[in-house]
Amino acid sequence: MYRYDEYDDRLVRERVAQFREQVQRRIDGALTEEEFLPLRLMNGLYLQLHAYMLRIAIPYGTLDSRQLRQLALIADRYDRGYGHFTTRQNLQFNWPRLRDVPDLLDLLADVEMHCIQTSGNCIRNVTADHFAGAAADEVEDPRPTAELIRQWSTLHPEFSFLPRKFKIAVTGSAEDRAAVAVHDIGIRIVRNDDGEIGYRILVGGGLGRTPMIAKTVRDFLPKGELLAFLEAIMRVYNLEGRRDNKFKARVKILVHELGTDAFIARVEEEYARLDGAVLNVDPAEVARIHAYFMPPSFAELPARSARFDAAVARDPAFARFAANNLFPHKVPGYTAITVSLKPIGAPPGDASSDQMRALADIAEHFSLDELRVTHIQNIVLPHVRLDDVPAVWAALVESGLATANAGLITDIIACPGMDYCSLATARSIPIAQDIQQRFADPERQRLIGQLGIKISGCVNACGHHHVGHIGILGLDKAGVENYQITLGGDPGNLAALGQRLGPGIDADQVPDVIERIVDLYLELRTGDGEAFIDTVRRVGLDPFKVVLQAKEPILAAA
Amino acid sequence: MAADKRPALPFVLTASDLFDGDVVFFAGAGWTRSLGDALVASDEAGADRLETELASAETRGLPVAPYLVKVSVSLDGDGIIVVPDHYRERIRSRGPTVRPDLGPQAQERQHVSL
Repeated sequence: MYRYDEYDDRLVRERVAQFREQVQRRIDGALTEEEFLPLRLMNGLYLQLHAYMLRIAIPYGTLDSRQLRQLALIADRYDRGYGHFTTRQNLQFNWPRLRDVPDLLDLLADVEMHCIQTSGNCIRNVTADHFAGAAADEVEDPRPTAELIRQWSTLHPEFSFLPRKFKIAVTGSAEDRAAVAVHDIGIRIVRNDDGEIGYRILVGGGLGRTPMIAKTVRDFLPKGELLAFLEAIMRVYNLEGRRDNKFKARVKILVHELGTDAFIARVEEEYARLDGAVLNVDPAEVARIHAYFMPPSFAELPARSARFDAAVARDPAFARFAANNLFPHKVPGYTAITVSLKPIGAPPGDASSDQMRALADIAEHFSLDELRVTHIQNIVLPHVRLDDVPAVWAALVESGLATANAGLITDIIACPGMDYCSLATARSIPIAQDIQQRFADPERQRLIGQLGIKISGCVNACGHHHVGHIGILGLDKAGVENYQITLGGDPGNLAALGQRLGPGIDADQVPDVIERIVDLYLELRTGDGEAFIDTVRRVGLDPFKVVLQAKEPILAAA
Repeated sequence: MAADKRPALPFVLTASDLFDGDVVFFAGAGWTRSLGDALVASDEAGADRLETELASAETRGLPVAPYLVKVSVSLDGDGIIVVPDHYRERIRSRGPTVRPDLGPQAQERQHVSL
């Protein structure tokens, strides 16, 4: 994985020193809150419902054991013993104290981490496929590209005050697991007809109050041209993106209002004007970055493991875990393990400091010291020998981390919602917990199969509800929490926005309604185990509307 | 969620502590972390007082992000119980509903168990 050079290190240390001084000046009264607010936000420090919240960038979701142990130490020393992994592959601490934050940032800098550009109208932390470097269907590891973009976008003077925040995601696989179509810029690493590797560039996707699927603006961009082309997109957006209305300031609105063809024409015009030779990075530097992501030294192993197969045959609980939480690895004899942070009834994405240390130990011993944070709020151990899976599973069981539900109905994305967030209009976590309890039976989950429920506690859509197979949006309806249900959303290759099923419902009705949707799906699906999303695509929304109508008058009135 | 105008009576004045971000309420002679100790404006004079204090906190920037919150007051034996009308403010005054061990509600539990 990437290691800081002297410039990275100096940049981060200087920022910590600056922020230490800014905090002191705020405490002394030399800075007003108005003056201090943008400074703390530039360092990822928000004021939330109950306390400050610090958002830590985890570039493309990649961590090593040393970093995760440091996060555990910070959780214990400066927070309340836990952290929350987010849908942008970041980590949030919910209870830091202002005067402690500079020391906390120093501890992060010790392990090459920081909170820069985790807030504000700049290019945010770049996300990537969580199976990067491991997935069997990978054209190329997306992380060197993501790292290049990270370096280019970090404190980029021209793009530090954009009309609005800007999110970039990269995937290098045939299957999009990074939700690139709902990012401001989505990048797919592809191979053209001549077998050359390059980029498909999508622009103008996003969720929030005006969800949009991104448009392809270049079908194939030669690899060496990436930064100049991104620069052209950013310049068009920076100049023409709306600054008069915060709700219309994202690039998706610009693409939508101009029209895709006109937007592409502007980008290409700008691109033609740019001096690509100056902007594009020296191939030697690209090679230097790539070298950090060279595949680790995998052993030569048989594709099957007798030890693994025996454990599957012996232990039904292990077999269930193996069936749900393993992902095919590009190297024979290895697998990628999804560690679910969705045990039944716990807040999705939360991990205690003890669990972080346990994961760090497991990664160090069994996963070539690598971990990934997923945008689905889970952790991935990317490089585990099949031989070692039983031992990893046993260690996960000990730490309460062996929930065998990856991709199933209880593997729910939920934003912090009104339990933590000052922007929320309703709670998300208790809704997730209620649904999990309802579907807790592992056999029932297996029968239902792949089904992604995503819950947001306000229209900003941090819980990605628009692209949930079932999406749930919590709103404030005359002082009562109210939940809108959408169906048919998809974050992947067939990216789609969910459609509203009908009027909103009360919190206590949500599990019943979800259950009726699922029961109806089980009736409607074809005999070959058609997945939920495929059934919804095939039959449309109409057959499902009955689940809202078939209720007492309270629903009709809602 | 700073309220621009005065809510209906009764109401309290809330903000966040600069140093640790804790939710605080104006208590008359300072700020408290306990809603039960908040000064409740239940008449015009009380309302004027909290509005003056709100303006002062905004000017000083201490505590942070002050605003007024509509509450309901009921009697409970020896004292009064103050409960915000809106669920957002009820959650904010107690702590995350999914973590009863955190926030002011944790202290209450401790207090009750003693």
